[in-house]
Amino acid sequence: MSVLLEVRDLAKRFATRAGREPSPWIIQGLSFSVNEGEFLTIIGPSGGGKTTLLNMIAQIDAASGGEIRFQSQLAPINDMKSLKPGLNCQIGYVTQEDNLLPWRTCLENVLFPLLVQGKLNDETRARAQTLIRAVGLAGWEDHYPHELSGGMRKRTSLIRTLVYDPPVILMDEPFGALDAQTRLQLQDDLMRLWNLGKKTIVFVTHDISEAIALGDRTLVLTRQPSSVAGEHRITIPRPRDIRGILTHPEFIELYQRIRAQVQ
Amino acid sequence: MSNAEQTMDLAAPNGFNWRPYIVRAGQIAFAVFLIWVWKAGSQSAGEMFVADPFKVWDRLLKIAASGELGHHTYVTLKISAIGFAIGCFFGVGLPFVLRRLPRFTDAIEPFIMASVGVPKYALIPLFILWFGINDAPKLWLIGLLVFYPVFIAIFAGIRGVDSRLINMARVVGASESRISREVIWNALLPFFFSGLKIALPRAVSAAIIGEFLVGNEGIGYYIEHSRQQMDVTGAFTGIIVATALVLIVNSALVYIDRKFSAWRPTDRHMEL
Amino acid sequence: MATLKSAGGPSVGVFDAGRFTAKLYSHRDHILVLIALLAIWHGLSLLLGVYWVGTPWGVAVRLYSGLLSGELLRHASYTFSEAMIGFVIGGIPAAILPFLLRRQPILTAILDPFMVGGYGSPKLALAPLFILWFGIGIESKIALVAFTVFFIVYFATQTGVRTLDPKLVQMAQVAGASESYVARHIIFPGAVPHIFTGFRIAMPYSIGGAVVAELISANRGLGYMIQLRSMNFDTTGVFVALTAVCIIVFITNWIVNFVEKRLLRWRPPSDVTAQKE
Repeated sequence: MSVLLEVRDLAKRFATRAGREPSPWIIQGLSFSVNEGEFLTIIGPSGGGKTTLLNMIAQIDAASGGEIRFQSQLAPINDMKSLKPGLNCQIGYVTQEDNLLPWRTCLENVLFPLLVQGKLNDETRARAQTLIRAVGLAGWEDHYPHELSGGMRKRTSLIRTLVYDPPVILMDEPFGALDAQTRLQLQDDLMRLWNLGKKTIVFVTHDISEAIALGDRTLVLTRQPSSVAGEHRITIPRPRDIRGILTHPEFIELYQRIRAQVQ
Repeated sequence: MSNAEQTMDLAAPNGFNWRPYIVRAGQIAFAVFLIWVWKAGSQSAGEMFVADPFKVWDRLLKIAASGELGHHTYVTLKISAIGFAIGCFFGVGLPFVLRRLPRFTDAIEPFIMASVGVPKYALIPLFILWFGINDAPKLWLIGLLVFYPVFIAIFAGIRGVDSRLINMARVVGASESRISREVIWNALLPFFFSGLKIALPRAVSAAIIGEFLVGNEGIGYYIEHSRQQMDVTGAFTGIIVATALVLIVNSALVYIDRKFSAWRPTDRHMEL
Repeated sequence: MATLKSAGGPSVGVFDAGRFTAKLYSHRDHILVLIALLAIWHGLSLLLGVYWVGTPWGVAVRLYSGLLSGELLRHASYTFSEAMIGFVIGGIPAAILPFLLRRQPILTAILDPFMVGGYGSPKLALAPLFILWFGIGIESKIALVAFTVFFIVYFATQTGVRTLDPKLVQMAQVAGASESYVARHIIFPGAVPHIFTGFRIAMPYSIGGAVVAELISANRGLGYMIQLRSMNFDTTGVFVALTAVCIIVFITNWIVNFVEKRLLRWRPPSDVTAQKE
């Protein structure tokens, strides 16, 4: 398998305001790579710069040092001006908040990326409809975001990214704010969708169980400044049963190993 | 809470709700009462001070038939519209320019905010002095009165646009002009309307006040001219027309705002 | 914020010096703009002549001499007292009425369209009427100001009475508080910030209303002063009177803010943008 995305020696600190002490490093010496078709999960303590990491990969925040390569091409990450958010639609980003446009209905939100990319046609519309049905949103297409439940909004934002099929999708604790039941349901949905297409996914979470249940490989980040504390290959065979996996012997062993590493 | 209680108390056992009818009847009664007070006032104070309501009605019909009403209304609305367009143009445009000049914005912001406190109407004599007795001083007045609420609303709106939505749109490949049209414009609309709700009725009021002091046509001129001629009935009629005009503009705006903002839950939940 | 970053304290290590430069720097922009504005003003008066635009220095001198002779203060005090008396006459009943109407939803609903109409009506257009009724003296201005202030404060207070968290009221009722106790200790304190919002919005209107009425017809006050001087083509004099009006507006704003801050010490500081307009 070829390396699709590579992060090397990444570093980040926020700009120092005049007259203040220099702000601390949030990320320092962070390196990892993601293979094509791999589901990588990243665990770190909360407030540990995980969102900042994804923002830098998605090219909406500049790095203070290091490099990011996508398909061996160096991405311009060193100052805000030269950033190319989404790297020409090659990197999809499912953020922590759903960030739906409140004045667009569910369906219009899903179609938004296709519209702005000029790829709106019968074929892509049909694809959007398929995805909407796949996550159980059929019948809600014409509702505005404020009329949808938290889980439905999350599903909408998920398929809004899937609909234009970017080679890499970043996910930032997408299920963090949901109740346990909805979260299981959505993890199930995500697994199903992923099995269909085998996208490359970088999934950030603070929930160890979620990281093991979903991922092919899990990275554990240290406290600030973040860097990689450990790496765990997860060989639990797929398709996995999200609900039953908690009792899998390999799961328990992995859980304890990772638990020990997360400070 | 107390509303709900009261509704329940009034609901008859068979579930028929009398409340709206009681309210409507009360409103009509109150309106009749006000007209009666007006009539009684005109009788006790004399028609030199309070015009007779029925004579006002007759006058209204008379000037409507003669075309005088239509002409004055047209003049007032025309100047309001032009002044409004000027004020709106700068009130909407300037924040978009300032958006790209953060340092300049920081430097001039306190001065703009201080100038909000200047009573604009007090500038009319100066405008008359500078621009003469024509439409220009009125346009300056209306333009300024419209500019401030629109500018402040849009300025606050642009600052309040959720940067996460903009980032999302960038990531999925939206161009900057698409972002301006789609994300910023839509997010601004509620702010724009809250500015308009203040500005549009103000434009009409300002036109009328301007006509008090300058000009020889328009509703404001009609009121002031009648007053100077001791034509109290005329002054009352003019004031009624002016009030009606502003109230109509108001309610039209409320209606349009509701239609445009179907996606918003309600004003109460809007995060300003 | 972006400005500060680009300003970049040259010596990051020396904290105090860095902070001082930053402070000086952010103020330097403001001072530069102020100088630029004065320069433009002065340039205009040079370009167009003092006859059309009084020089800044000339205005300052006239302001000072007007203050010394007492003329300016006399006119300003007329305008100020018209605005204040009207403000009290219109504002106090408007702040009380929603509390009386709180338990009378039907009466409130009946009055509502009339209140909305009064709120939306062009109150300054009524100035000729008030002048007709009360003459060109102080009374007509007070009436106009009171009328203007009333509706603004009424709706602000009503919002305060309505939007109060029902849970607080229920909590008090569950705890056995009487109706009058609830009104005095829960609803009133909860509505006070809204009343002050109304006051703050209404205050400039009261000064503005007084000045406009004076412009139309008066024999004293700052509005009269502006009108008279503009008829004599005394632009410098008009500028002086306008400056005096602005000073009164700022002083009254400051008074409202000061009283509010004293009364509402329990409140977290509100954001500034909400206070504008």
